[in-house]
Amino acid sequence: MASLLLSPAEQDYIICGVESGFRADGRGSLDRREVSLRTGMISQANGSARCRIGNLGVGTDVLVGVKAEVNSWTPGEPEDVGSIVCNVECSPSAAQEFEGRGAEEINVELTQLLDRILNGPQSGLNLKNLCIIPKQAYWVLHIDALVLDVKGSIIDTLVWATRAALMSTSLPSVVVETISDEKGNIQSEFDVVDDPDNLTPLEGVEHLPISVTFSQIGKRYVVDASEQEEAVTQARLTVAVSPAMEI
Amino acid sequence: MSLNIADRRRINGPQRSVEPVYTTKAADPFATGRLDERALDQVRPIFIKTGPLDAQSLSAAAPSGSAYYEQGKIRVSCAIYGPRQGRKSNARMGSFDCDFKYAPFSCSWKRSHIKTSDEKEIALMLENSVAPAIRLEAYPKASIDAFVTVIESDGKAATIAAAINCISAALADAGIELYDSVAACSMALHGEQWVSDCSQAEENASTCSLLVARMPSADEITYLLQHGKTTPEQTQQAIQTCANDCTRVYAVICRYLQATLE
Repeated sequence: MASLLLSPAEQDYIICGVESGFRADGRGSLDRREVSLRTGMISQANGSARCRIGNLGVGTDVLVGVKAEVNSWTPGEPEDVGSIVCNVECSPSAAQEFEGRGAEEINVELTQLLDRILNGPQSGLNLKNLCIIPKQAYWVLHIDALVLDVKGSIIDTLVWATRAALMSTSLPSVVVETISDEKGNIQSEFDVVDDPDNLTPLEGVEHLPISVTFSQIGKRYVVDASEQEEAVTQARLTVAVSPAMEI
Repeated sequence: MSLNIADRRRINGPQRSVEPVYTTKAADPFATGRLDERALDQVRPIFIKTGPLDAQSLSAAAPSGSAYYEQGKIRVSCAIYGPRQGRKSNARMGSFDCDFKYAPFSCSWKRSHIKTSDEKEIALMLENSVAPAIRLEAYPKASIDAFVTVIESDGKAATIAAAINCISAALADAGIELYDSVAACSMALHGEQWVSDCSQAEENASTCSLLVARMPSADEITYLLQHGKTTPEQTQQAIQTCANDCTRVYAVICRYLQATLE
């Protein structure tokens, strides 16, 4: 994704090394770099996580925040489910080409990828639970990912950080009142309880998938490609696997 | 879709409009066989016409190659401009760029005039699927641009597959050097059964969709996308079947291209 200029000699070194089972930084072909994951560090967000692969400054770093908002139902939308809106942004601090509009393509690709994994029954999240009052109001989860550094393997880092952020997300409780007025019509109103201790976690987060990316270099494949390895990758396959071993 | 910025180039309709709700319920796609009576593994009939749609246009600004592709109800048109001067003047290899747009009347709901991120992502998908087939090292410093317009769409994965096939036909019409034509096919999972080339109604009723783009002569898959949840065995079996369907589509594309030579 982030392009790196490698000389033909360096490319050859990496390809021949991988085909013989050695990688440039000494890992085996299925070894990952060190992963560090922290959740809940953003107090203003309903859920947050930061995932880093590799060491600080030489690894891929993604920060994900989840904010929940209440949205009013409009005709044309499904009546009894909440929704998830994903957005991925690569900050210019990640690579020079991300400055200005340079990151647009990769933002779109990563956003759609995350949307494909999370939106729909395959994610395992219980979207029906996110509905407050059918045909009236529902929770919208805004998942915003900020890519702080890219040194290979961005998709995996992004998906893991998002999963961690969703697992640490807790929604405020909602009190629904149904009032029937003189004509016998039933109206529902809801109130969001502003109590920091009265929070409910999302349902179904344990079913969320994580992803594994394989990069083909030469005739063999490696897991967790570093920046140099990604520059010589011929093909890449990303598989999102749920805890129930489904893809 | 409500637009945040005032669209000054067009006569604007109301800010919000929705697709109407129909009183008669649509027929269940898989109740008794498929709605258009195809077999479960049958791909829709394909029609391809290459060359300028209007036979009189021979101006210098005309595209180098173009193709019009139909598959069942899906209609896609592609124009190839290039090889023309690329953005980087020191590039060793040519660049291939794709532009993808749904016409506003192509889907069952009205699409925006402005390109959405959905369409931008599909353009990236098309680039990734077709670029491996082009001999880009034969066109240094040049860029080859493909502009795809979907006139009518019927099933998202099937439309993307149709777009890939259309680009392949248009590239051949433009005379661009290719390693092989890329043929693509899609499938959807309904219950436990994989069904080839699904229409929109069938895709809505399915739990998973799969798109495979393949170069049959080289026996290489250039693009693979699965959307939905399956078991690994189901996916493996589906990839195999879809790859075989790609070969069948490839044979059709080749036959149409040969017919243009006669």
